[in-house]
Amino acid sequence: MNRVRAFILCSLLLVTIPATADIAIVVSKESGISQISRDDAVNIFMGRYRKLTNGHLALPVDLTPLKTRFYRVLVNRDVATINSYWARLVFSGEASPPQQIATPLEMRDLVMHNANTLGYMDSDEVNDDIHVVLTLHE
Amino acid sequence: MRVLRLLLTSLLLWALASPAVARALTDNGSLTLSGFGTLGMVHSNQDSAEFIRDIGQAKGAGEGWSARTDSLLGAQLGVRLNDELDVVVQGISRYHDSGNFRPELSWAFLRYRPDPAVRLRVGRLGWDVYQLADSRYVGYAYPWVRPPVDHFGTLQLTHIDGADITFKQPVGRDLLQLKLYAGRSDSEIYLIDGLTADFDVDQVYGGNLDYETGPWRFRMSYTQVHSDVDFQGAVADQIEQIPFANLDANHVLGDVFGFDRITLFSLGALYDRGPLQVQTVVNRSQTTRHDGQIDSGFISLGYRVAPVTPYVVLSRVQTTSTNPDNSDIDQQTWSLGARYDLATGMALKAQFDRIHTRSPGFLWRDADSGWDGGWSSVFSLGLDFIF
Repeated sequence: MNRVRAFILCSLLLVTIPATADIAIVVSKESGISQISRDDAVNIFMGRYRKLTNGHLALPVDLTPLKTRFYRVLVNRDVATINSYWARLVFSGEASPPQQIATPLEMRDLVMHNANTLGYMDSDEVNDDIHVVLTLHE
Repeated sequence: MRVLRLLLTSLLLWALASPAVARALTDNGSLTLSGFGTLGMVHSNQDSAEFIRDIGQAKGAGEGWSARTDSLLGAQLGVRLNDELDVVVQGISRYHDSGNFRPELSWAFLRYRPDPAVRLRVGRLGWDVYQLADSRYVGYAYPWVRPPVDHFGTLQLTHIDGADITFKQPVGRDLLQLKLYAGRSDSEIYLIDGLTADFDVDQVYGGNLDYETGPWRFRMSYTQVHSDVDFQGAVADQIEQIPFANLDANHVLGDVFGFDRITLFSLGALYDRGPLQVQTVVNRSQTTRHDGQIDSGFISLGYRVAPVTPYVVLSRVQTTSTNPDNSDIDQQTWSLGARYDLATGMALKAQFDRIHTRSPGFLWRDADSGWDGGWSSVFSLGLDFIF
């Protein structure tokens, strides 16, 4: 009975947590970057200035299921305005949007194996293989 | 019929494609296909002249409905060679200077980013003469059905064949950006019935200085266009056939229009924070003829109440010279409209323009002889999409 109650409690938490959980911006352990500022994150993900603190070119990646929440908390814009913003930059040949990744698993894998890749995921999806450079609180 | 075919093709393309910017065609994402388009309908109440979107359009929208003015379809193929190097090829089909929807190559360039602060592009590039100029056919990127005609309608070129280099420099939390470009280009402008100007631009060069701070983006631009203008059509032929005068149409008309050397100065500011979007650009183009000037500008205010963005725009264009004639333009427009983001990558727009024309110049087509302007009401519907 207790187990059932714990299960229900956990499920409820799982349902409610994603709306309030933190989003972690992550890099590979090998990148040598300890942290980035919020301004750096805006510059990189919005394609304004893609320079990592180690001097390398930053390659941002979007986690599609988390995109709406990420841009809401980072720049306070909805996905329609983000798409519209990128339409201008892409079709004028100015810049390319972040690569799109569908699952946290793929994101972890991509970040682990690419020193210049910058991704994001729910804080509780982060494991020891990757390093958190900035946490965004909703 | 052409319009219908275009509409069908674009619907088909949209149905086939997933609604997201840039779709990877290969597993590693090295090849991407993306596109944009507009299905537009425009209704004008002006029975004395035809409404156009820009001076490259051979025919305009007469009284009643027309799909010709704004409907278009564009597609882009991106090939990523490595982290520093990629190739972009983009084509567009819209109603333009050939008098039909024949597709044309918008851009085809190699992009090289040796460092996050430097970017070099070589090939066919968008003419980034002032803010939003090189994205003026991407309806999904702006709130309006079309960019303000008074301002963008007199632009002479869409692309240049050449190179540009962009430098970025962070200044505290702000960003400074310098872009320099040079190249050549060509285009055709419809002046009046029976007279077109073929622009053979052997030199176009200029630069932009951008400053981004918080929600603001300011720009200053300067451009020079040197061209050989070749006038064509019945009017040019008639001038050359005047007995005994031995006239060269290009000389005579060159004196009248003076397009062989144009200098453009622009100032622009964009503001985007939360629900509020403000866009304003002013431009002064100087031509060689009689100290000729084209002054234009617009200001647009939009307020987003997701998923709807109502907006209001005021735009103005005026040409001046020491020798005024009927090629002069003097026009002001109030636009009121709304953008509705109805699905991912898709927006529906409705816009009402109240245009006050004091002198139409070549901003209208097929005008009744003696029409010197007046008030026009233009209502437009647009469906913009990206894929």
